[in-house]
Amino acid sequence: MNGTYMHEKARMSSRLLYLPLYAGALALSMGFGGMFQAASAQNKTVTIVLSEEPEGLDGCNANRSSVGRVVKQNIVETLTEIDPKDGSITPRLALSWEKVNDTTWRFKLRQGVKFHDGAPFNAETATKAIHRTMDTSVKSGNARGTGGLDCETRTKSFGDLKIVGKPVDAYTLDIVANKAVPILPTRMGVVSLSSPNTPNDKLVLHPIGTGPYTFEKWVPGQEITLKRFDGYWGKKPEADGARYIWRKESAVRAAMVKVGEADIAPNIAVQDATDPSMDFSYPNSETTRLRIDVTQSPLNDRRVRLALNYAIDREALKTVLSNDVIPATQIVVPGISGHNPKLKPYPYDPEKAKKLLAEAKAAGVPVDKELEIIGRTNLYPNGTEHMEATMAMLQAVGFKVKMRMLEVAEWIDILTKPYAEDRGPVLLQGQHDNNNGDAVFSVFNKYACKGAQSVTCDEKLDALIAKASALSGDERRKTWEEALRRIHEDMVCDVFMYHMVGYSRVGKRVNFKPSISTNSEIHIAQVTFKK
Amino acid sequence: MTRFLARRSVHSAFALVGLIVAVFFLARLTGDPTNLFLPLDASLETRKEFAHKHGFDRPAIEQFWSFVKDMSHGDLGYSLRKQRPAMELVLEAYPTTLKLAGATMVIAIALAIVIGALAAYRPGGVFDRISGIASLAGASAPDFWVAITGILIFSVSLRWLPTSGVGGFPYWIMPITVLALRPFGLLVQVVRSSMLSALASAYVKTARAKGVSERTVIFVHALRNACLSIVTVAGDLTVGLINGAVIVETVFGWPGVGKLMIDSVIQRDFPIVQASIMLTATAIFLLNIAIDLIYVALDPRIRHQ
Repeated sequence: MNGTYMHEKARMSSRLLYLPLYAGALALSMGFGGMFQAASAQNKTVTIVLSEEPEGLDGCNANRSSVGRVVKQNIVETLTEIDPKDGSITPRLALSWEKVNDTTWRFKLRQGVKFHDGAPFNAETATKAIHRTMDTSVKSGNARGTGGLDCETRTKSFGDLKIVGKPVDAYTLDIVANKAVPILPTRMGVVSLSSPNTPNDKLVLHPIGTGPYTFEKWVPGQEITLKRFDGYWGKKPEADGARYIWRKESAVRAAMVKVGEADIAPNIAVQDATDPSMDFSYPNSETTRLRIDVTQSPLNDRRVRLALNYAIDREALKTVLSNDVIPATQIVVPGISGHNPKLKPYPYDPEKAKKLLAEAKAAGVPVDKELEIIGRTNLYPNGTEHMEATMAMLQAVGFKVKMRMLEVAEWIDILTKPYAEDRGPVLLQGQHDNNNGDAVFSVFNKYACKGAQSVTCDEKLDALIAKASALSGDERRKTWEEALRRIHEDMVCDVFMYHMVGYSRVGKRVNFKPSISTNSEIHIAQVTFKK
Repeated sequence: MTRFLARRSVHSAFALVGLIVAVFFLARLTGDPTNLFLPLDASLETRKEFAHKHGFDRPAIEQFWSFVKDMSHGDLGYSLRKQRPAMELVLEAYPTTLKLAGATMVIAIALAIVIGALAAYRPGGVFDRISGIASLAGASAPDFWVAITGILIFSVSLRWLPTSGVGGFPYWIMPITVLALRPFGLLVQVVRSSMLSALASAYVKTARAKGVSERTVIFVHALRNACLSIVTVAGDLTVGLINGAVIVETVFGWPGVGKLMIDSVIQRDFPIVQASIMLTATAIFLLNIAIDLIYVALDPRIRHQ
């Protein structure tokens, strides 16, 4: 009895033990090296792995980077284009332009262009497309997102500026503004033109433009595909199509390009950019800073604000972020018209910081009052560590500082007006992106008395902003330079940190050079394949 | 049985209504979504206009009545961010979560029963010790770390499996393995301790004395009695998974409801938050009823009460 029992027990044990092994062997036998490499040498579809799924694909939201990277200059195009090398304006759907008067510019349009649905591109259809982006007259009667579009292009880049198209002839278009607009050609670089058959009262998920690629399909949560448009007016692109997928984790995006599942990961974290043969760094048009709330004591004292700046060792802090970042002196990056190259970062001088604090204290400024650094989680890679190191540097020269990291929604409540009365002396971590070619897109909002995110109100600065906004050419550039000098040297409104860099990984079968515009658009037509 | 089901359904319906009301008002307490929808550079006027147009400036109670009115027509709201009806988005994501959770739990339970039973069969033996260490490691390993390490080893170095994404059988291996580790680890411990008690009981000794085969002793006599505690723990773990496996969905790019829900909470996309919580809550209530029915099937004493 006992012998039979032991025998059966052993036999059963050995059978059961094999089960997990069978399962493991079956699992591994299903996958072998190379079988998942979607991007094979013969396949001419470019696979791009993004960090998030686009929230929509309507051309009028192409200013949003998650949307722009798919649609801008691929599906929908603009009249003009901003050259990422120097910020200059180049032709796209418009061949040339001239100023008629302060409020009117005349654009000569490209001929022989058609939309993907067959509609012709001309002054009349361009007018309709501009109207779709700018129109706010259709009021919503419900909460369905219909009735008057909340186009990001309008809300972000135009504010209270309104423009309308007025056809002069089939291929000549006047664009008229409600006020003087000296850089209208620059502004038109952000207005994507959709087919006249696109509905005006709702955002679309199937964009139709004039670009080199047409929208093919969107499998929610999984992928978006584009295919080459054979009727494109320009040079035939090499890639047959594009496939966009998304993975939240940078390590996964980098791994996908490494093993050939994707060709381009436009945005990976610095710690994942470990392969010099595939990884590129590029200035990404973002500038980081601590916004000083100059209305609050003791931050309303200029000596205290200077002390904050002298307390920061920007060279040492680089190690937290990347050795490629550039210490910043202003809110716009080099290459943007108005950037002042003469400004110098405040040097690291803790003794000077202590001396300034002592002077302020002697003058009765309550320098012992606790300051608060308010940061935002995931604002940029290692942003929390950056703030922790900054806090330690400020404490080292004698500031009393505490720190709080917020989620995006709470952080925006502090960033934008109206401000809480009892907010206290806050140093707000911020990152600002301007690749639109001109300082006007940054300075008014951040520093003017009426700016939505401004904590300053300086008459001289407001006058400079108003003057620069109305000028063009060299005079405009110089006036912006003076405004940025005043902010940095006279008013000391910020602790500027860095002009940031982005990292892209590009697979070995394609040629693609990331640039400042990679942050917001990826031109598939520029991607070529290695022989 | 019918009365039992009816009673549980009524209780569940009340709980569901309470949950919907709580979620609606708690979500609004997080603040106005206007600032999150509009670009940072939008003017104050644009913000006001947007909030007014979409009703975000109305009192929460007014918004609630509109929500109730719409819901009575089967309309659970429209996601401004995704530009689609909220329930449509949730229903699209939910099958992925259910498939992932279902496959994970089937594999975790099957393996845990086999390994836990074997460990209990020779307590203190080599197999018991090894399975004890392995199950504790599985139960305590952080999902995120295991997922990324798995990708680096099996996809980047060995090139055996795809890094991520949705597709055929190979695409399931890593997500399910990562997701199954914790339930497997916990269930092995539960199966082992339940089986130890069962195998030491008088009825098992009687069965063996009568000459019943060892397989029947274990899988009919002992396991059936050990099953109640296994079902309780497995049910609880399944509830956790059908809420969405956020980390696994995020790392492996699986478009499930967990990731959708978390993203919507962060972005204050209220209609999606409401629709996804309503659907997952309903699924959990149904699962609980199913667990009750399994109890009844397993233990005749419950049936007679």
